[in-house]
Amino acid sequence: MAPLARGYGALTPPSPRGVRAAVGRVLHAGVLVSAAILLTGYLVGLVGDPAAFGSHAVEQAHLRASASFPHSFVAVWDGIGRGSGEAIIVAGVLVLILTPVAGLVTSAVAFARRRDWLFTAISASVLSVILGSFLIGWLSA
Amino acid sequence: MTIVELSLVLFGVSILAGVLGSLLGLGGGFVVVPVLTLVFHLDIRLAIGTSIVAVAATSSAGAARNVTESITNLRVATFLALATTLGAVTGALLAGVFDARFLFALFGVVLAVSGVQMVRKRRIPVAKDPIPAMATIGVAAAFTEGVDRGGRLADRLALHSAYFDEAEGLEVPYVVVNTGLGLGLMYLAGTLSGLLGIGSGVLKVPAMDLAMHIPMKVSTATSNLLIGLTAAASAVVYFARGDIDPLIAGPVAIGVLLGATQGSKWLAGMRSDRLRVLFVSVLGVVAVQMIWKGIG
Repeated sequence: MAPLARGYGALTPPSPRGVRAAVGRVLHAGVLVSAAILLTGYLVGLVGDPAAFGSHAVEQAHLRASASFPHSFVAVWDGIGRGSGEAIIVAGVLVLILTPVAGLVTSAVAFARRRDWLFTAISASVLSVILGSFLIGWLSA
Repeated sequence: MTIVELSLVLFGVSILAGVLGSLLGLGGGFVVVPVLTLVFHLDIRLAIGTSIVAVAATSSAGAARNVTESITNLRVATFLALATTLGAVTGALLAGVFDARFLFALFGVVLAVSGVQMVRKRRIPVAKDPIPAMATIGVAAAFTEGVDRGGRLADRLALHSAYFDEAEGLEVPYVVVNTGLGLGLMYLAGTLSGLLGIGSGVLKVPAMDLAMHIPMKVSTATSNLLIGLTAAASAVVYFARGDIDPLIAGPVAIGVLLGATQGSKWLAGMRSDRLRVLFVSVLGVVAVQMIWKGIG
């Protein structure tokens, strides 16, 4: 019966409901916030810059150089200040990209609160790998 | 065609990508990239940048519901994310070392073999009341005892769990095995995705289903959470390089968010055998896409 006992004992501590609910809430919030920002950016763009958002032919979009839309945090920030629809959309995309990372931070904190040090350490390690790759990408881009 | 019309088409395609992606644990790139490159002749760099945004959208919108409902195994996802994120970094560093065409062909063949294995795998009968369910765990544990050291690693990490299957109307407990092998496969999957700029949910789901014996539904939901973490690691690079065009990525993000939110609602009630058939069908399509790239 040892194997059965082993299977049972191991079954009792799955991720506690509190941890899962907290991660779920953060992911849900990230989705709602980014969707709101994306829609706002689209509306602002349609009203403020109808040429770029509406009447342009698709062929012209293919010829767009990367430099013509914001692709640094500074450019996005400046663009939002100027009321640029494109910059607001990029901000929404960035919130979306960072949402799973926010979920990971939440689970690390929740595991730590429950004194599950093994999973706190694993979550923190994953986080450091992601932050390290941000840095590598930043320096090489 | 104007930008508004393009946006509407992308929005519609992305809803489909979001539904399929959230059900199957994939990023949706397999729908979005061919449409952007083959139909709209968009530059491949912008297409891949857009596809990364689709991955982030599918992952967050899909996992938001399924983590709370415990279909997603958060501990398995966190542990395996160690390997997938390290793999993604390795892949990014190794970019250019290998012949991309060879890698695409290899990837396609691996997918085809995984697909065949997944078809062969018989559906494990789900017990209709708790006592046989307990016996199933006992048998599974006995089967892995002494044979599989990864099972003990899964014990230590407390990866075993249970989820409530709405389609079957009962709690399904499961024992995770071959944890070390799974970790290794995840590292390879992450490396390949980093090298080729593609999501690797198509490799992550078979690794969990075939190697680690995680139920199909849990595998796709857990893959869903994993791909978002792997994508975040590379997405910032694509953003800084100027590969994320707001006029294209914007409508895709909104469409995928809507589709994935809906898909994650359907996942709980979907029968696992149907989910498997759908997954293997998509796997076949992606395998053909990859082999085509390899020989084309």
